[in-house]
Amino acid sequence: MIQTILALMKKELYQVIRDRNMLRLIFISPIIQLLVLGYAINTDVKKIDTAVYDFDRSSLSREYIKAKTAGDYFVISSENPTVLDAELGFKENLYTAALIIPNDFSENFTKKKPVEVGLLIDGSNANSASITSGYAEMIAMQFNRRQLAIPEPIVMRQQMLYNPESESVYFMVPGIVAVLITMITAMLSSMAIVREREIGTLEQLMVTPITVPALIIGKTIPFAILGFLEMSIALLFGVLWFGIPFAGSWTLLYGLTFIYLFTTLGVGLFISTVTQTQQQAMFYTWFFSIFAILTSGFFSPIVNMPEAVQYITYLNPLRYYMIIVRGIMMKGATVEALYPEIIAMIIFGIVIFTSSWLRYSKRVS
Amino acid sequence: MFKIKFIAQKELWHILRDPRSLIIAILMPIVMTLLYGYAINLDIKNIKLAIIDFDKTSTSSDLMGRFYNSGYFSEVTNPVSINNPEMILKKGQANAVLIIRPGLGEAIQKLKSMRNIASVSVDNYELGLIVDGSDANMAAAAGSYSSIVVSQVIKDNLPLGFEMPGIKISRQVLYNPDLKSSHFFVPGLIAIILMMISALLTSVTIAREKESGTMEQLLTTPITPRQIIIGKTLPYVGLAILDGFLVLGFGVFYFGVPFIGSTLLLFVFGVIYVIAALAIGIFISTIVKTQQLAMMGAMMVTVLPSVMLSGFIFEIKNMPLVLQIITYIVPARYFLLIVRGIMLKGSGIGLLWVEAAFLIALAIVLLSVATKLFKLRVS
Repeated sequence: MIQTILALMKKELYQVIRDRNMLRLIFISPIIQLLVLGYAINTDVKKIDTAVYDFDRSSLSREYIKAKTAGDYFVISSENPTVLDAELGFKENLYTAALIIPNDFSENFTKKKPVEVGLLIDGSNANSASITSGYAEMIAMQFNRRQLAIPEPIVMRQQMLYNPESESVYFMVPGIVAVLITMITAMLSSMAIVREREIGTLEQLMVTPITVPALIIGKTIPFAILGFLEMSIALLFGVLWFGIPFAGSWTLLYGLTFIYLFTTLGVGLFISTVTQTQQQAMFYTWFFSIFAILTSGFFSPIVNMPEAVQYITYLNPLRYYMIIVRGIMMKGATVEALYPEIIAMIIFGIVIFTSSWLRYSKRVS
Repeated sequence: MFKIKFIAQKELWHILRDPRSLIIAILMPIVMTLLYGYAINLDIKNIKLAIIDFDKTSTSSDLMGRFYNSGYFSEVTNPVSINNPEMILKKGQANAVLIIRPGLGEAIQKLKSMRNIASVSVDNYELGLIVDGSDANMAAAAGSYSSIVVSQVIKDNLPLGFEMPGIKISRQVLYNPDLKSSHFFVPGLIAIILMMISALLTSVTIAREKESGTMEQLLTTPITPRQIIIGKTLPYVGLAILDGFLVLGFGVFYFGVPFIGSTLLLFVFGVIYVIAALAIGIFISTIVKTQQLAMMGAMMVTVLPSVMLSGFIFEIKNMPLVLQIITYIVPARYFLLIVRGIMLKGSGIGLLWVEAAFLIALAIVLLSVATKLFKLRVS
């Protein structure tokens, strides 16, 4: 039994290693992806291109404009444009915000009266639009406070834990690692058995004394090993290149990754039992990957989703693993804090593995 | 022409004979639209907030109500420990913990009896907010929403006829006044789906002929390589366009995404974009030998850049310069601006000609490189 499994594993590993292109793809692609994604995934909204219409043209209005651009949030792309049609610039994508300062700005402000300043925002990107308006409010509040010297009766003292520099890359890189190993392991394992079927070598395997469990184990363990290698490369790269702090325990992360890999490999196996060709398997795995990534909380928090979608996310193993990776790396979370996720992953793994085993046995006989 | 039709027919048979793949090819865009429309909601709401109330007065419970009814925060009942706020964050029970220290009642009372701005005492009352910074966006939102709630409380407790002086922002949002994320994602999704279906499927289908050895058989027939390529890709062009319309229809009729501009213009650009995508697919399939590799390669060079480097979710101008330069060779970058411009802003060719020129040039270059390489490999 052990020997047949070992032989199968060896064959499977050979098959991957023999193909230089495949090998390159498996080991170089995570680094490229991590690099591109680590830099590209930047949800911070900064340097908002702004058109300024200053009808007041006073020293105070200039000071306000200066305050507006001081924090790197707003960049003035056109100042007092001669064309009064602000919308044209929005259509040409010259700017995404326009600030309109009325001509009685400094007069009312110095009299300590309320002053209304107009802000036009391009709403196409809903997220940036609401952040833009938030920044504008914040800058106005600070400007009022400084210029009018208003004391505050109630202040909020804020303390930020875990990521005090507010680097979004610290949050995204652990997420990318999770996404990468999900895609690679599910893809490889779903196509492995289907390929044998497509080429016709599966029948040959079936007539050998290899049992179904041995076949399943022999086919999945090599991919688990590749998954681990891939994760280690990506993690090392993340820590060394991006300087991601690692607050928790490496052993715990690897242990829980082992459990997680069983869920993704299980999904891959299950897909290979319901498909006939590699193209189909690829399609199904794609479908699974997209679903898993979008409902994992990788891009956007699960609490923002509608309630029905939130329930669906419980069926997604990546949801749990995402919490685990981020928790361990950023917060130093321990088993005590993560046990609900661990249990959920184990249940998912057992269910998916037994169902693909059952489907196999049925197919074979 | 007849030969092309023959190959196209054969490929069409391949697609139709395999209803499972066909169903996925049609279902995928719909499910993706649903998922992106619903799941990717970048406006941050429902931040999980635990409140530890040491004040325990009617004022403090009023403040709690203000936070939870603001629409920004959702309530965390029974936090694990009121003495150790950090454990609440570590367990992921809450994204932020608000600590109301004793004395809030007096502070509000003082505010109500205020005569003028200057009479506010300097030794003000402090609220504590501990934020989980792992998600930088969420953390920033938690901080700024809390300040909004608190400043509203201050404003409401000012004596009658008293108005805070200074700048007020009156904002007006153009094109998407309700700030719906789906307005932003659906047009982008059309770009992604078109790229995925055309590049991914064509690269795999040519690789399949190679893997099973039928490519040689095809080449020994009097059909020229160019005819093979055109014939093999045509059915997928049809499928991609069908999928594009599915996403468009679903977005417009289900999510209510506006479509202000010209449908014809969008269609023309869609076809040019699909040609560019197909060229990439052909290019990949000439280099690789197996379906597995074709698929992974296509994912690397088409799908990922189209999602990540096109401005679909992440803004290009926030990227480092090297990546910004790379985005110029990603066709989705141009198509995305075109789709969004046409759909959301009603832009015409006069405003979009720069993007259009880049897209057309890119399509021509890609296609000529791909066919040249294919011919080279064949002979």
